[in-house]
Amino acid sequence: MHGRLKVRTTEEQQLIKRKEQQKKLLAYRLGMKQILESRQPDTYDPNSLAICSQLLIVNPDIYTLWNYRKEVVLLEISADNSNDSSSEALVNLLENELKLTEQCLLANPKSYGSWHHRYWILENHPDRNWQNEFDLCSKYLTMDDRNFHCWDYRRLILNKIGVTLGDELKFSTNRININFSNYSSWHYRSTLQALTDDCVQDELSLVKSALFTDPMDSSAWFYLRWLLSNSVVKHEHMKEFLANINQLLELEPDCKWILVAKCWLLKLLGLDEINYKTEEMESYLKLQEIDPMRKGQYVDCLKVLQLY
Amino acid sequence: MAIPIKDIKLPEDSPKELLLDKHVEFIKRYGKSDDDYEFGMSDYLRMSGMYWGLTALDLVDKLNIIPQSEVIAFIKQCQDPQTGGISACINHDPHLLHTLSAVQILCIYNRLDVIDTNGVVTYVSSLQLPDGSFTGDKWGEVDTRFSFCAVATLALLNRLDVIDVNKAVSFVESCKNFDGGFGSRPFSESHAGLVYCCLGFLSITSRLDIVDRDTLAWWLCERQLPSGGLNGRPEKLPDVCYSWWVLSSLTILGRLHWISAPALKNFILACQDVETGGFSDRPGDVADPYHTLFGFAALSLLGFDCIKPVNPTFCMPQCVIDKLKIMHQLLENK
Repeated sequence: MHGRLKVRTTEEQQLIKRKEQQKKLLAYRLGMKQILESRQPDTYDPNSLAICSQLLIVNPDIYTLWNYRKEVVLLEISADNSNDSSSEALVNLLENELKLTEQCLLANPKSYGSWHHRYWILENHPDRNWQNEFDLCSKYLTMDDRNFHCWDYRRLILNKIGVTLGDELKFSTNRININFSNYSSWHYRSTLQALTDDCVQDELSLVKSALFTDPMDSSAWFYLRWLLSNSVVKHEHMKEFLANINQLLELEPDCKWILVAKCWLLKLLGLDEINYKTEEMESYLKLQEIDPMRKGQYVDCLKVLQLY
Repeated sequence: MAIPIKDIKLPEDSPKELLLDKHVEFIKRYGKSDDDYEFGMSDYLRMSGMYWGLTALDLVDKLNIIPQSEVIAFIKQCQDPQTGGISACINHDPHLLHTLSAVQILCIYNRLDVIDTNGVVTYVSSLQLPDGSFTGDKWGEVDTRFSFCAVATLALLNRLDVIDVNKAVSFVESCKNFDGGFGSRPFSESHAGLVYCCLGFLSITSRLDIVDRDTLAWWLCERQLPSGGLNGRPEKLPDVCYSWWVLSSLTILGRLHWISAPALKNFILACQDVETGGFSDRPGDVADPYHTLFGFAALSLLGFDCIKPVNPTFCMPQCVIDKLKIMHQLLENK
């Protein structure tokens, strides 16, 4: 029950709505009763299966109904295995399941049950088309590029169609260039390659251009923290990046992200240099002022600094 | 091309005080409303729904307004004699999510004797895969939510010995991300709900040593938005349930003081429905028992006189966890 706005209605409207709801509730209960009572280990009722589709389209979270459908599919598979004739009926049934999940996902792209059922069906499908699935993912990501179900599904499909991580790296660069503020793309990128001496400069440049485009946006700062925590980032990289950060700070003196990143860099570059330490302390003091919600964190960081 | 921060503005006439009696009435009414559309259509999550409602009531010391015998009779009917698992409601299939909810309710009532606990233990251990992960039921969906449900259920029954804990930990560790957070499977994006599940899991298995504490705590405290509310991922809207997932996680890490408590309190109180009672995800939306529990539980962690202390790992009253002597690890604030 997320994001459902409470709407004010008249008494008359409420009465009509209540009547409609009573009808729907009755239909739901009758449908569930019919399905669950007709559920048998060795046979199934096509009428119940059809009712089941209708109920899932309305609410794909009724997990027992997906289980029921899987039982039906397994029955058909074992029947199909025992006769040598064409498996057209089976393929039709499986295709029908795929269509159903697609309908459910269009209405509710975040339904765990629908995504899982879809993958389960494909694993049991003799003529499955993984490329199709890959294209479907791309389509869904254009509709909502933060849908983590879809990103996860894409990852599962990659292995099936032989898309390499290198291809995906290009895909991720494209997604990031379309929208720097897409956290999901940055996350995805972090899973695609081990950081090496060869790629570290490119990664730092990509982050840099994102930060200079919009320093107020948080996504690339998280990626930067990760990059900096890696041992392939050398002192010379850090010094160069610190110069960039100082440049950015002149343009945006009150941007907390820049100050936070400056503190990381100063810390990494060495606590023994007294100038660095003073600058870091001043930055934390300023952060307490401009970002009071997270004051507790900055106070803790200062305490650690004062111990050295 | 600056992108504005995604957030909401709290209405000026938002409630500023806790409407305790209204919330108690809201939950009481919800549990009784068999003809109600919302209630009737949500039977597929009834067991969890009962856990949300009953835990919320217990947190404000009003558990006795619901007849215990009815709840217990219902739970008994939901246990599957074959697998030992427990379903959302009668005639539905057993599932780990509802098995945990049922065990949590029975711990609150101190009535674990009414179900076949050995059956539950067998069911949970049957769901562990060779890589250490857990499926939600026999149909194979893997998720770190289920790793949490499995160890929480077993810890409440004092039977963690029946699973391979080391492998279970390795799987959760393989779900750790660049930002220190955790997702539902290896390589899945961090999400505050799953961060809670994984930290809860590591708290129960006493393996919080694998967490990048300050990296994760930074990501978590950055969930607080100017409205005071918390979101579940960067660039998402705030929601009362994330008050719980983020706050319990910060508590487990000993970093509760990294966000602004007064601002969050203000946001949570603004999500109360002054007419029907109950909390919604955001001000002006429809209230439900799920957000009501997580509203109460978050307020409890922030310190609220009329709400009992809640345990951040199990989301149950602390006194229940103490009475049952359930071991778990929390990091100190240092």
